[in-house]
Parts: sequence; structure tokens; C-alpha cells
Amino acid sequence: MVQIADPGHGQEPPPGTQIAPNDARRREMTGLALFMARRIVALVLTVLVGVYMTIIIANVGGQVDDLRVIQIRADVSDAVRSDPGVAAADRLALIEAQVALEVERLGLDRPFVWRSLDYLRRAMLLDLGRAEQMSSDLGSRQVSAIITERLPATLLLFGTANVLVFVVSIVVALRLSRRYGSWLDRTIVALAPSSAAPGWFYGLFLILIFAFAWPLFPSGGMVAVPPPETALRYAMSVVHHMVLPVTAIFISSIFVSIYSWRTFFLIHSSEDHVEMARAKGLPDRMIEARYILRPTLPSIVTSFLLMLIGLWSGAIILEQVFNWPGLGTLLFQAIGFRDTPVIIGGVVIFAYLLALTVFLLDFLYAALDPRVRVATP
Amino acid sequence: MLLMNVCGTMSGPILGAASGRLPPMRRVKAGIAGLLMLVPIQAQADADPDLAGRRGGLVDEIIFATETDTARLSGLIADGAFHLTAQGVTDQSVFQRIRDSELADYDLSFGGSVELTLNPVGPTFEDGTLNPFSVPAIREAMNQLIDRRFIAEEIYGGLARPRTLPIGTAVPDFARLAAEARAIELRYRHDPPRALAVIEAEMEALGAERQGGIWHFEGRPVTLRLVIRSDDARRQVGDYVANLLEGAGFQTERLYRGPEEASRIWIASDPAAGQWHMVTGAWVSTLVRRDSASDFDFYYTPRGRPDPLWQAYAPDPEFDRIAARLNEGDFADLEERAGLMARAIELAMQDSARIWLVDQSQIGPRAADVQVAFDLAGGVRGSQLWPLTLRFADRVGGQMRVAAPSVLTEPWNPVAGTNWLFDRMVQRAISDASVLPDPFTGLHRPQRLDRAELTVRTGTPVSVTLPWVTLDEADGIIVPDDAWIAWDEGEGRFLTVAETGQHGLEARTRAVLHYRPDFFARPWHDGSTVSLADVLVSWALSFSRADPDSPHFDPSHVPGFEVFERQFRGWRILSEDPFVLEVYSDQISLDAETMISQRVVSVLPWHVIGLAMLAEAQGELAFSSARADRLDAEWLSLVAGPSLPILDRKLDQARAAGTIPFPALLGPHLAGDAIAIRHDNIAAWRAARRHFQIGEGPYYLHSVHPIEGALVLRHFPDFPDPSDRWLGFADPPIPVLDLDGPLIVARGEDARFTIAATFAGAPVEAADIETARFLLFNGDGALVEEGEATELGGGNWEVAFDPGRIAALGMGPNSLEVVFTSRHVAMPVFASQPFATVPSRTAEW
Repeated sequence: MVQIADPGHGQEPPPGTQIAPNDARRREMTGLALFMARRIVALVLTVLVGVYMTIIIANVGGQVDDLRVIQIRADVSDAVRSDPGVAAADRLALIEAQVALEVERLGLDRPFVWRSLDYLRRAMLLDLGRAEQMSSDLGSRQVSAIITERLPATLLLFGTANVLVFVVSIVVALRLSRRYGSWLDRTIVALAPSSAAPGWFYGLFLILIFAFAWPLFPSGGMVAVPPPETALRYAMSVVHHMVLPVTAIFISSIFVSIYSWRTFFLIHSSEDHVEMARAKGLPDRMIEARYILRPTLPSIVTSFLLMLIGLWSGAIILEQVFNWPGLGTLLFQAIGFRDTPVIIGGVVIFAYLLALTVFLLDFLYAALDPRVRVATP
Repeated sequence: MLLMNVCGTMSGPILGAASGRLPPMRRVKAGIAGLLMLVPIQAQADADPDLAGRRGGLVDEIIFATETDTARLSGLIADGAFHLTAQGVTDQSVFQRIRDSELADYDLSFGGSVELTLNPVGPTFEDGTLNPFSVPAIREAMNQLIDRRFIAEEIYGGLARPRTLPIGTAVPDFARLAAEARAIELRYRHDPPRALAVIEAEMEALGAERQGGIWHFEGRPVTLRLVIRSDDARRQVGDYVANLLEGAGFQTERLYRGPEEASRIWIASDPAAGQWHMVTGAWVSTLVRRDSASDFDFYYTPRGRPDPLWQAYAPDPEFDRIAARLNEGDFADLEERAGLMARAIELAMQDSARIWLVDQSQIGPRAADVQVAFDLAGGVRGSQLWPLTLRFADRVGGQMRVAAPSVLTEPWNPVAGTNWLFDRMVQRAISDASVLPDPFTGLHRPQRLDRAELTVRTGTPVSVTLPWVTLDEADGIIVPDDAWIAWDEGEGRFLTVAETGQHGLEARTRAVLHYRPDFFARPWHDGSTVSLADVLVSWALSFSRADPDSPHFDPSHVPGFEVFERQFRGWRILSEDPFVLEVYSDQISLDAETMISQRVVSVLPWHVIGLAMLAEAQGELAFSSARADRLDAEWLSLVAGPSLPILDRKLDQARAAGTIPFPALLGPHLAGDAIAIRHDNIAAWRAARRHFQIGEGPYYLHSVHPIEGALVLRHFPDFPDPSDRWLGFADPPIPVLDLDGPLIVARGEDARFTIAATFAGAPVEAADIETARFLLFNGDGALVEEGEATELGGGNWEVAFDPGRIAALGMGPNSLEVVFTSRHVAMPVFASQPFATVPSRTAEW
């Protein structure tokens, strides 16, 4: 457990007690190891529960099996019926044979509970396995290939937009916190509710204006078709295609983000130690860096890292609106196909990333904030 | 009429000259379309100098890109981002925007239908509740309760046509049975009072009583559970029908469901459990269905599908027997078939387990300056001719951009690769089929064949329409001893009829396929030349994949292969140059052209397939998805992904060792350096194009961009055929009828009605019209006379009634309906005119 060190509450030895430096280090290391072990076990359990819940929910406790068998029957029946080479007398037998093969291929002839445990075991071992219905754009059935193929597009779009939002909002918020009540501050506060509308909403307007009415940018896609053959032209084309979606995300997030951080900094700006620094006549830049930013760094870092993880899932509707070949679209398709391994794969990676981030944050807190210490046994 | 269409870009005098060369219709037995196909080629080339000497496709480059949002299509087309969309659109707002745009246009296809599926179990369900739809008379009355015109015009905004009968309105069978169909349609026309009267009588007979306007059964209100699909216009259809049923005194419970949830209720559940009474259903066909005879068996009998609903069907014994006969082709000739079909339609309407509502249309949006042959049922995506007809109206060449909701959806390989509609659509541009279906009639026409001869056992009901197929009958068809019939995996060769001990084997049909002399002179895209080995590898692989001893054995291939095997009776190569093939089979279809299309060979580039076979044999790749899962290997893709480096390694191995697939079979046909040349060609192709996908079609796959969801096809200049060969199919020549005549006819007078048939403003030639029938209905809607309209020439026909006929009608309103069927379009066209018969003018004075 991470605790804020509080002298006089048992963490420090009683006065007069002599502790050898090696023993102290050993105790610290032991404490650290125990702390890490407990955190890892807790996080793994959390991931396990989360993943298994996903498996159960994605399959509605196994009821999706019925839907899938129905779908298989319908697909096979339609295919057989539309094949003029199949004689009427052979039709029903052929349908049954092909349905049986497909049911066997998908393992739907095994009880769901066993399959769910198999899914879980493989997921926890990060063996994402094979998709049941989907293929990657390149044609692979490996879930890892399907996911990693779409990941760069999502990271590029949402990474760019969110980092932009994050940096701009921190900088502007810090400045506004010192100009509380100014016209700019009031404008930002007034515009903050505009973030109630999601990015895709602004995206539709941006497309209408800048792709159709005034065609400066493409309405969708990640790159021109056919894609330019040189790397530079390809990159420029990608940037060109990113302008509208990044702008849409930026507009939908920036005002509320600035407002949020500005409020956060405003609270910290009125702390006693900041007032004292001001009273001592320290320059604004030093006050911002040393007396406001540094104490709030854990919160900023936490927010930043969680934002980075949040990029993983992309945004389904925004990607659809901009025809962006990212993970959001992929997961949407996977849900539509009820392709359990792909859905689980997406969730597993997200869960592990989240767990890893939470684990790292514990240490970052300790590094960033001298008040944070590991409790020794 | 086809001529009009073909010559859409031609001048009038050329039209006249061409039509003047037409032979008399009776002599060519409906073969005019095939003959006319040759006429416009020269004319078109004369009219468009860019076409002279050009071969293959009519544009230089086609780019397919993913666009999933149909709402944006009109804007993207107007913007020039796309010229054509592969997907059909049913959204009315998109339709209106396209229709109102000067830069965009559209093609209409008619492959969808909407119906109400009724639960026939009863009279009560397992829980004791009443199911009114268990009574055929109530189901039948539903036909008259519903206003199909309202659904077509108000709910579907004109993108649908009313449909009453179990066969579609845009299929050849409807054209063949137009008169009978129209008479039955009128019998079931919208008549709510009559429908309500039937429902009331039948409900009372069931023991229900009406209390406070609501039907009650055993003290409880009769509640109908209606499963209404919520993801398209069927939501409004369901609401409309629910309102009608409430008006008839039923309570309704509207279950709005998506496709899967709806399926779970109506397909997966036992209909006797009573979870539903009615479902809003829809069906789609992606090609013109030449034969609708099996529809009765599928839609109304337990033989249709193994699911519980179908097993609950209990059709009238006569209907059941006729449906089975039609399904199995158990009729002596087409006349008997027509009689069975007409009777089946009547019985299906009396059964009414399904209430057919509308045939839904789809628009295929495109730029106004784009022309393409689209399939009357499947639109552009279902068209086999699109690669050979796609062009800009005002020029040859250029870059065409096509939007599709998905491309490269699954791995591409020609053995068991992707079967997604839009992938298949692209692949049709890369490959070159031996025969191609007419997009407007579904009849196959020759592409690589010169001609074909079909012999069927005497009494087999088959007809022929086009002159490239000759049809004969024989009392017995014996398969020759040297025909190939089975596969020996151990020896890697085919076994003959004699070797399998089947001497004297009989077959129901023999087809002799005469391929064009240049069949084995055509180039593959990599520069190799198509050879007999490419045919043999296709045959051998199909047999080998069904053989448990083969390294290519694929259980998922077996069921389909077994069906083929049960009908297959042998192949015999009569000549290699020119290629003449004899095929024996028991498989029967209604049209000789369709049967030939099922006998033609497919060619696979053996040098590419050989690499894939090496990889599959070593467990690294698999042709089919199912086998890939079993092997835990990658599903073979010739265009992208992890398959390519594996194929690279196999290519190195094959080049080093001179490996060929099925060496015992193919070896004798690969003399000299043929093997090395093929391997060198594909290696060079792979280096240049970065994939292994080759074909022999009018376009080659220039580049693939899977992540970006795009691919580029380019014109293949070495394609053997002139570019204007199929241009005649750019527009369906559906005639427009203008029926004119008196509105009032007095007793003692005769009545003359004229019909002007036009297409694109020009008169339709009589030779292009297969039938021009009229139907005369009296005021009760009863058919009192039918016959043929008299041709007057110049695209005009006449229907005349003498005074005696008029007198026999009595006084009151009447209706004259005319039904024209074109030789070139599967869809019949109708026109009607009401008129009143009144007392004689003398009496009146």
C-alpha cells in the first residue's frame, strides 16, 4: 500500500532505536517486493475478473451460441439454395452436413462453460488465438494481427488529437488560472458545455463545410486512393486526411479540458504556499513551475497516462464518420460478427495496459511526490 | 428493342438499317438477341473512333475504395470522388438526392422482396392461446386486408412494386405466366370489407367472440405478437399491418427486433410455443432467377429448410405434391410446367403461409456520365458484365473510382477464398468466364465458347432460347468407356469409366463444348499462356480435396463435392486444339444455356496453384478457412498478408526443383521449358506487383492496399476480345406501354384500343416482343377474355372488341389490361385502362 509518510505514526523507529543501514535497506526492499507482489496479484485478479465478465457478456452467458447456429443455418441454407448445381433431393442433407461442419469448426458443439474457460486461459496467457469470422485486412486470421494492424491508425489519429488537446489545455489552463475572470476565461467557461457534443457530431459539420461545400479536405479515409507511392507523399496525404477528424476531436474536447484544468490549477493557485511565493515576489514562471505544476504533477501524469490508454479503444462512431480504418471500427465489426476471440483480444490488451499503467503510476507517484512512500512491514 | 438500347449512342438511320437486317422472328426461335449482339459492334466502333482496335475494358484504371456511409454517396459522386457505387441503396433520402442531382444518375434493380411470415400452428398454441393465422382462410384474407400500393408508394417511396404472388414480378416465370398472374392478383386485390368479413366469420367459427370491439377467446383478448424488424422500412410495414389488425379487432404486441433477435424468436423457437404470430420478412436475390419453380417447395413445405417453422408447414396435399414436382423438375414439358405453376400459385395463395407485399427496388448510384451493365436483380455488384461495359459515356479510357462498403474482406484465392459480394465483384474483372449471364434475362451467353451441343434423355423438360446452343434428345445416353469419372490419389491421375468397372454407365445429359480457337492462346496477366494444364489442375484439385488420402483433403469441401459427384458422369476431351470437351451429367435445369454454364471448365494458373498446394501440403497455408482453422495455419491469400512470404519460399523451391502439381497428370502437357517459363513469369510478376493474383480477365490487379481498404485495377491490353463486344447491355430495354382507347363504349359499338410500345422514346420492334397479351375484366373483376394483341407495325399494337363482345360485358365498368413481355428483359410490363359499357346511343336518344 502506498501511504503518505507521516512521522510519528509508526513508520519511523522510536527515538533511541538503532537500526543498521543494511537492515533498513533490506526492510525497504522487502516491503517494496511485498507491495509489488500484492499489487500484481490484485491487478491480475482484476484483469481476470474483467476478462471473464467480458467473455460472459459478449456471449450473453452462452446464448449467443444459439444466435450463431441460427445464423449458420440461414447462411448455409441460402448458399445451398442459390446453388443451381444442387439437386432438390440433396438439399436438406447438404445443409445439415455443412451446418455440422461449421458448428464443429467454431466449437459450438462444446458446452459454453468449457469454451469460456478456454477463452479465459488463453486470454490471461496473452494467447489471442484465431478469429472465428474475421480476417485482418492483410488476410490473417490471427487476432493479434487483426488488432495490431488497426492499432497504428487509431494511435495516430487519437494520439495526435489527444496530445494536442492535453498540451494546449494544460498550457492555456495554467495561464487562465492566473487570469481568472478575464474575457478569455469567461469565453472558455461559456464554451465548455459545447463539449457535450461528441467529436463525430462536429465531424459531420466539418465534412459538410470543408469536404463538400468548400472542398479543402477529403471527407474520409486515411490516405488518398490509390495511396501515394513515396513515403513523403504518403505522409503528407495522411496528414491531409487527419485534419478534419483531429479538428473534430479537438473542438469537442478542448474547452471542457481547459475549463477542467483551469479549475484544478485555480484551486492549487490559491494554496497558502503559492500565496506565500507570490508575496515573496517570485516570478510567475517560477511559481507555475515550482509551486503549482510540481505538486499537481501526479494528477497530470495520471490523467495523461489514462488518456493514452483510452486511445486504445478508439471511437467507433468517429471512425465510422471519417471512414478511418482504426480499432473502433474493428471492434464494432467484431461485435457485429460476434467474433468472441477478437472482442476478447481487444479487451484483454486494454485490461493489461490499464493494469500496467496503474502499477507504474504507483511508482511514478513515489518518484514525483516526496511525500509518497511504500509502507514498510 | 435490344437494338435501341445497344444503339443508344448511335444515330437513327443506323438503327433503321440494323433493324432492317433482322431475320423473321419465328425462324430464329427467339435467337435475335444473340444475333443482334453482333450487329452493334461494328456500328459502335464506327461511332466511336476511340474504340477501334481497343481490347478488353473500356477504362484505363479502376480504383475500388471503401465507403461505408451510403448517406454520403450523392455528395461524393457530385464531388467527383467516386463515379460508381457497388452497393445498392434503398434509402429514400439518398434516392431523392440522386434523382435531383444533375451530376448523378442511378440504375434500378429488383432483387428484393418483402413479405409477412405467418405462424401456421394451431388453432391454439401450447399455452392455450388462440392463433388466428392457423386458419388458411384468415391468412388468405390478409391478402385483401393489406394495401400493397400504399406500402410500395408511401412506405418505400416508390422504391418498390406491389407483389401479391409467391413468384417475383421481375423474373422470367412471371413474364411467362403474366396473364394467369394478373388474374389472380385481381382476385386478391385490396378489399378490406371482404377481408374483414372472412376474418369475422372464421374467428367466430374458432369460438372467439368480439367484446367491446376486441376479439376474445376463452375470456381473454386475442393478442397477436408481431415480430417487426426495426432496422429498415419493415418497421413501418409492421406498424401498418399491426394497425390493420387492431382495426380488425385484435390486440397486438409489437416486438421490434434486429435481425438476430428476430431470428431467435421466429426461426429458432418452436412455432407451437406461440412466441410469435407474424414476422416481417425479406428475401434478396443477386441474380435474375431463371427458374422459380422451386420457390413453392422452399417457402411453403417442410422440405424448404430443416428449421422448426418449416417443419410446422402442413400444405394441402395437392399443393404439396405440385410443389414437390416443380422442385424436382417432374414434368414432361414446359406446357405441363406452366400448368403446374399456375395451379401452384393458386394453391399458394389459398395457403398464404406468407403474404407477399412488395418487390423492393434498389438504386445503384453513379455519375451521370458513367455507363455500365447492371443486373436486373443484383445491380452492379451482381452483374457479370460490369467489367466489360463500364465506361464514361463520352470517352474511352480514363480513371474510374468505385465505392464499395468493403473490399478485400477475406483472403483471396481462387479455390476456396473470399465469397463476399464485393470481393467477387472485383474478381470478375480479373477473370474471364467461359459464359456470361445476360443481366436482364439471366440467360447465359458465350464468352469463350463458340457453340455447344446439349443432348438430353428423351422427355427431359429443357428448352433452348439462344442459337449458340443446340438441343437434342436421345433415348439413352451412354458414357464412353474412356471418359474420366474418378480420381486416383495414389497415382495422381483420373480413372476412366472402364477402369472403375462402370461400363455402360448412363447419363441424363451430354454436353459438347466447343471452345473458341484462341482459348489456349490467351495470356495470363503475368505473360504466361493459358494451357490445358490449367484446366486439368482445376479438375484434379477438386477431386483431391475430397479424398481423405490427399494432403489437400478438406472436410469442408466434401459435402458440396459429394453433391457434384452424385450427378457427374464423366469428362472426355475430344480435341485439344481447338479445345472440345464432352461432359456427362445427370444435373438438369430448365434452360439449356444454364446447363451449359454448369458444364464449362474453369481454369486456374497451375504455377500459382502449385505453390499454394506445396504450402498446404506442408501445413503452412490452407485454401479454405475451415482447413486453415484445423491446421492452425493461415488462410491462403494471393494478394496480401502472411501468405505472401510463404509463397515466396515455395516459389524458390519450385523454381529450383522444377516442381509442378499433379505431375502424372500435368507432366505430359508441360513440355520443354514450359515449367521454367511459368515460374519465371510469376516471379517477375510478384516482384513488380507485390502479389500473386493473376487472371486472364480484361483488367489486372495493379496494386493492393489492404489497410487503406483500396485496390487498383488496370486495363489489360492483351485481352483477346474487342472492347465493344458487350456494350449492348448498358441499359435494360424495358418497354414503356401507352394504352389508349375509348373510356365509354355504347352497346352496339365496337371498341378499339391501341398500345404504343416505346423504349427511350423510339418504337419497339415487334421482333423484340415475345408476347403481347390482353386481359379483359368485367366490373366484378372476373376475367372474361384474354388473347393476343394484334401487331400494327411501327411499335403499335391493337386490341379490338366487336359489338357482340361489348354487349356480353353488360352495363358498367370494365378494365382492359395488356401484358407485354420482351425477349430481352425478364420483367413483364403492364398497362391498363378502365372503360364503361353503356346502353346503346339509340336507346339513350
